[in-house]
Amino acid sequence: MAVKSYSAGVKEYRETYWMPEYTPKDTDILACFKVTPQPGVPREEVAAAVAAESSTGTWTTVWTDLLTDLDYYKGRAYAIEDVPGDDTCFYAFVAYPIDLFEEGSVVNVLTSLVGNVFGFKALRALRLEDIRFPVAYVMTCNGPPQGIQVERDILNKYGRPMLGCTIKPKLGLSAKNYGRACYEGLRGGLDFTKDDENVNSQPFMRWRHRFDFVMEAILKAEAETGERKGHYLNVTAPTSDEMMRRAEYAKEIGAPIIMHDYLTGGLSANTQLAQWCQDNGMLLHIHRAMHAVLDRNPHHGIHFRVLTKILRLSGGDHLHSGTVVGKLEGDREATLGWIDIMRDSYVKEDRSRGIFFDQDWGSMPGVIPVASGGIHVWHMPALVSIFGDDSVLQFGGGTLGHPWGNAAGAAANRVAVEACVEARNQGRELEKEGKDILTTAAAHSPELKIAMETWKEIKFEFDTVDKLDVKHK
Amino acid sequence: MSKPDKYVGIHNDVNGGMTTIGKLIRDAWVFGVLPETEDCEGWNLAGIDALLQKVNAEWDKYGCMVSHLPQELFERHQRIHGEWLEKARASGWSGEAETDDEVN
Repeated sequence: MAVKSYSAGVKEYRETYWMPEYTPKDTDILACFKVTPQPGVPREEVAAAVAAESSTGTWTTVWTDLLTDLDYYKGRAYAIEDVPGDDTCFYAFVAYPIDLFEEGSVVNVLTSLVGNVFGFKALRALRLEDIRFPVAYVMTCNGPPQGIQVERDILNKYGRPMLGCTIKPKLGLSAKNYGRACYEGLRGGLDFTKDDENVNSQPFMRWRHRFDFVMEAILKAEAETGERKGHYLNVTAPTSDEMMRRAEYAKEIGAPIIMHDYLTGGLSANTQLAQWCQDNGMLLHIHRAMHAVLDRNPHHGIHFRVLTKILRLSGGDHLHSGTVVGKLEGDREATLGWIDIMRDSYVKEDRSRGIFFDQDWGSMPGVIPVASGGIHVWHMPALVSIFGDDSVLQFGGGTLGHPWGNAAGAAANRVAVEACVEARNQGRELEKEGKDILTTAAAHSPELKIAMETWKEIKFEFDTVDKLDVKHK
Repeated sequence: MSKPDKYVGIHNDVNGGMTTIGKLIRDAWVFGVLPETEDCEGWNLAGIDALLQKVNAEWDKYGCMVSHLPQELFERHQRIHGEWLEKARASGWSGEAETDDEVN
């Protein structure tokens, strides 16, 4: 029996949507997809189908062709490239006219680009690798509520990475004891503590109770240290109305920063919250829970560099970025690529970092990358070297797991980061001289000395699942 | 699995006593809130919570910082915590366990 292969229908897509002669306009939104076609379907046809089904493909019932200017609004597949080291798939580049999308709506852009097309039967798998947003579109988006420089001014913290720690509900804490753990971390030297991403308003700790005790902790730590402190109060909620109610209360009690899970909470809610934060002088920390569902499979889904761009446009002052070093997933070059996407005003195409397009952010402020999870004091020299000053280094177990407790863990991290920054400023090479730098600092910090003894034997040698394609060969 | 309603005592605790309650008891010994012979075996949650409040009040005098403790207390802290750190390591605990389940 003959195998039924893919059939385009009345007319092949490539007749309308494959345009290798097309030169993308400065105002086009450009996308690079990694396409894994069904066997036997020509590349040009599949690329054209992706362009069609992510733009106007669903509009083309015959008579409406006469009412809308399909030629203007359609996506154009304008180039195809091999994926290095992987013959099962290829890159398809598609240009979309800016007017295909509502201004300031990453929701609308994603609904087209990663909408129905991902279930299209000519494809075995599809991954959105990168998007180029034209500056004309960037300027229609709200972006980060405050941005890096304004955050530093609000918090009066300059010239070093900021330090954070997630307070874990696994400790079985009541709101009062949770607030105490925050106080100890902040008193010990942290700049921020943080709600876990899945701490919203469960029966074991309702949000308002938590907010009150945490704010008390912030005020006490500020009074004793003379520094500004913050706690990412997670306002993620079942509805955006409820989310806004929690955000309003956080502002009312004087909290400087709140937090949202932007993928599970949704992009409409996130954009709404970011705009409110901008209007109300609040900082917004963004957690990326659910990202691995979308970005971990190298052949299907959405690359994290796209999710990063989407967040910068939707709005957030911090975004979890991965750590490069430590236990968690993260190819170094790819991570450096999306850290640039978060912070820089102009990012050049750089395939060695997985960046497919130049990206001009215009005057849109940057987002601070948050390196979080599986890290401890021994990683500090590398973290300071890789992330630089405009970052938050977040040690959870690396703070709370200190044998002397939370304040000691925080103090160890604070002494370590300041020692590394001082050494870097004096021209020393952090990653080469890290041990010496930390050992010298530990001579006057018993907290750091114990931290170094606690974690010194740890080696992390996990391989990453999602590597840059250039490394697959 | 039913939740235990009594603390097993620091000598029987998991991770060689390198737990939140274990640390609390060691601090209570440091500050003299508990005699070093008291390992809290059989204590209920209310007892542990009351101990926590007392120990927190002691730490508040020194800004929660070990390095701010007066010399005598500092030495006592070093001795007690040092002994238990060794004990915990001997029982197989390592710092790695503290960052095992972090995914952010």
